[in-house]
Amino acid sequence: MPESLVSFIQVLRTRDVRISPAETLDATNVLAVLGWSDRARLRDGLGMALAKTPEEEAIFNQCFDQFFARQLADFSDSSENEPAIEEEDSSAGDDPTGVDSDSSRAELPSPLEQAAAADPALQAVVDSPLVQALMNNDSNTLSLAMSKAGERAGLQNIQMFTQKGQFTRRILEAMGEEQLRSAVIELEKANSPAQAQLQRYRDILRQQVRDYVEAQYLLHAEGKTRQFMEEVLSKTRLSNIEHSYLHRVHELVRKMARKLAARHSRKRREYRRGHLDMPRTMRRGVVNDGLMFDVYWRRTRREKPQILAICDVSGSVAAYAKFLLLFLYSLQDVLPRVRSFAFSSHLGEVSDLFEQHPVEKAIELVNWKYGGATDYGTALGDFASLALDDINSNTTVIILGDARNNRGDPRLDILQSIYQRSRQVIWLNPESRIAWGTGDSEMLRYQSACHFAAECNNLKQLERIIDQLLKSTR
Amino acid sequence: MHTQDFPQLTSVQVIKDGFESFGYICSDKIATAVYLAFKLRKPVLVEGPPGVGKTELAKTMAQLLDTPLIRLQCYEGLDEAKALYEWKYGKQLLYTQVLKEKLGDLLHGAQGLAESVQRLHQFGDIFYSEEFLEPRPLLKAMQQERGAILLIDEVDKSDYEFESLLLEILSDYQVSIPEIGTIKARSAPMVFLTSNNTREISDALKRRCLHLYIPFPTVELEERIVRSRVPDVDERLRHQLVEFVHSLRQLDLKKVPAISETIDWARSLLLLHTDKLDEELVRMTLNVLLKFEDDIEATDGEIVQLVRQATES
Ligand SMILES: Nc1ncnc2c1ncn2[C@@H]1O[C@H](COP(=O)(O)OP(=O)(O)OP(=O)(O)O)[C@@H](O)[C@H]1O
Ligand SMILES: [Mg+2]
Repeated sequence: MPESLVSFIQVLRTRDVRISPAETLDATNVLAVLGWSDRARLRDGLGMALAKTPEEEAIFNQCFDQFFARQLADFSDSSENEPAIEEEDSSAGDDPTGVDSDSSRAELPSPLEQAAAADPALQAVVDSPLVQALMNNDSNTLSLAMSKAGERAGLQNIQMFTQKGQFTRRILEAMGEEQLRSAVIELEKANSPAQAQLQRYRDILRQQVRDYVEAQYLLHAEGKTRQFMEEVLSKTRLSNIEHSYLHRVHELVRKMARKLAARHSRKRREYRRGHLDMPRTMRRGVVNDGLMFDVYWRRTRREKPQILAICDVSGSVAAYAKFLLLFLYSLQDVLPRVRSFAFSSHLGEVSDLFEQHPVEKAIELVNWKYGGATDYGTALGDFASLALDDINSNTTVIILGDARNNRGDPRLDILQSIYQRSRQVIWLNPESRIAWGTGDSEMLRYQSACHFAAECNNLKQLERIIDQLLKSTR
Repeated sequence: MHTQDFPQLTSVQVIKDGFESFGYICSDKIATAVYLAFKLRKPVLVEGPPGVGKTELAKTMAQLLDTPLIRLQCYEGLDEAKALYEWKYGKQLLYTQVLKEKLGDLLHGAQGLAESVQRLHQFGDIFYSEEFLEPRPLLKAMQQERGAILLIDEVDKSDYEFESLLLEILSDYQVSIPEIGTIKARSAPMVFLTSNNTREISDALKRRCLHLYIPFPTVELEERIVRSRVPDVDERLRHQLVEFVHSLRQLDLKKVPAISETIDWARSLLLLHTDKLDEELVRMTLNVLLKFEDDIEATDGEIVQLVRQATES
């Protein structure tokens, strides 16, 4: 498999385009069928194998252009073609190698060529592929040499902007810039008119390599920096995340949700074929003298699971509720029936808000409507009158709160009746386990009426719990 | 099908020309998808807004290759029995009755119960053979001698469980029927799946497909589509009406007009014997483009401006 394709796929992965080995294989086949010649077509084709949503396609296109279209800027210099002032031209004509072709003779030699003709060491430098490419404005050769040197220098592993200088140096070295430098110094010592010209080529080369390293840095390091950020964010206590990072966290939650949705939709093959209703078919058959012409079917109808989420949105817990809701509503494809309730002193159903507004907006509205001091007893009472009748063995009830009830009546009896009717009651508490039951926390008592209670205050924990939840509601 | 030679599919350009000869104008990207689908033997998952020609692509493909088009329209609750195969229970039961009458002859001379059971047993297998199988679209597509175009339309309307049924079929072009074993496609069909994105298609299914997203066409492409479908429309009018539709698509509407609406509109304008767009004409015919009363009202204030833009461009 072509190495450039492999590292391109690596880049896509750091940009959150999920690519499996099977897709990598497809991409290789696409490349084999389409070839490199038509870039636009190759881009279309690889995109079809590697990008699976419009968003991924946008990312793909951007990366493709950055990665493959390493078209160097035109660095030809018009002054180069100015005819040099005609002076004595004896040595060039006597060139013993006689390799000068007719076409090169047609143009007058530049100061550099003149100087080179007189100095075999300089001639060797001028004849090197590197200087030839620079002199002929041959961007293809140059960019090829550059990416080879880059690969050898391990440029794809660049992680921080502070490394840019170091990589630039390594690549220049690998390309043979050192010789160029000594040659310039020699010419300078000799006070040669060719010095300026060679120095200019050297500057061009350095600029090209700097640009290239910059582009590769953007391509490789940015994605990695982001992955690192996400890793940190997902382990940070949600209430501690600075406001300026919140949008990133939202993005991250959606990403986790997409991952979970994908994992849990990959359900094992399941037969939904109805069964022949034998008793009924035979009963009809009796009438027809045992001839069972009419066939009856029994369909298997599965009740879809339902989730009721109850969130404490009072000051202390609001930050966490937000993420639970964000998670649940980002999972609509696999969790089709989520109803949500919010409370602090009293409780209300907020599912409608989520139907009418984008999730973030809805969460804002919920906080605004139901924020305040907490009363778990009243809230449970409100919940029971709203939804207790709808709870059955397909219902999962998730409660998110710190169970700090300001010493009011906890109404454990209500939670117990929810417990008895439902499939499961899950309590997520943002406080650490050690604090459960201390002070005005009713957590230990509530826990007795839960199937499962967990500490949950960062995204990693939340993701794990929701993963479990998806498994168990299927 | 992928092993056969199709002169219609030898290159991306040939594909474009072929589709055009059947009235379907495709972008480079669409033609590339078709080319790769054939070369790599992969299904294509076609996504995009309603009315951009997803379904039409598969239909035209069938015309181009002159092969049967087998279509499976998806809906919620679609199951294996409707999509893949069903046993012909009526026939099975009838045969049981016939067998009952022959039972005496059959068991004549059988030594004891064991042998009787043995003899009867042979018949059990017969009832679950291809003879008694009622093929539904997916199986039918695999039974075609010369291959087929299989269109699995609006797969997003089906349930997740149904997707997993598709997985085996789409990767190996075979199905396993518990009573019979594995049935391989006589000639692997070319498969197009379409989705309007009402829900996410599972990763597993996406991985098995090439992914083709068809956006609304560019002005240039849509003009060519209109020319192909409504050739009699004057060139200037054609340009103006397409420009107009494009600016409508920029507005915040409940349902923006799709290609099919552009075509319908072009036809209506043709009937009105006009060769340029004007405000009154647009008001008269706007309901061809916009299907919601709300959208028509919302557009009302903009019409003068939009018509000016379209006629000036
Ligand atoms: N590229 C095209 N060339 C010619 N005609 C086209 C093209 N695209 C769309 N059309 C026309 O638009 C009509 C609508 O296309 P089609 O039914 O295939 O859309 P669709 O994407 O399947 O829509 P939906 O998502 O609503 O099913 C077709 O009948 C066809 O006449
Ligand atoms: Mg369609």
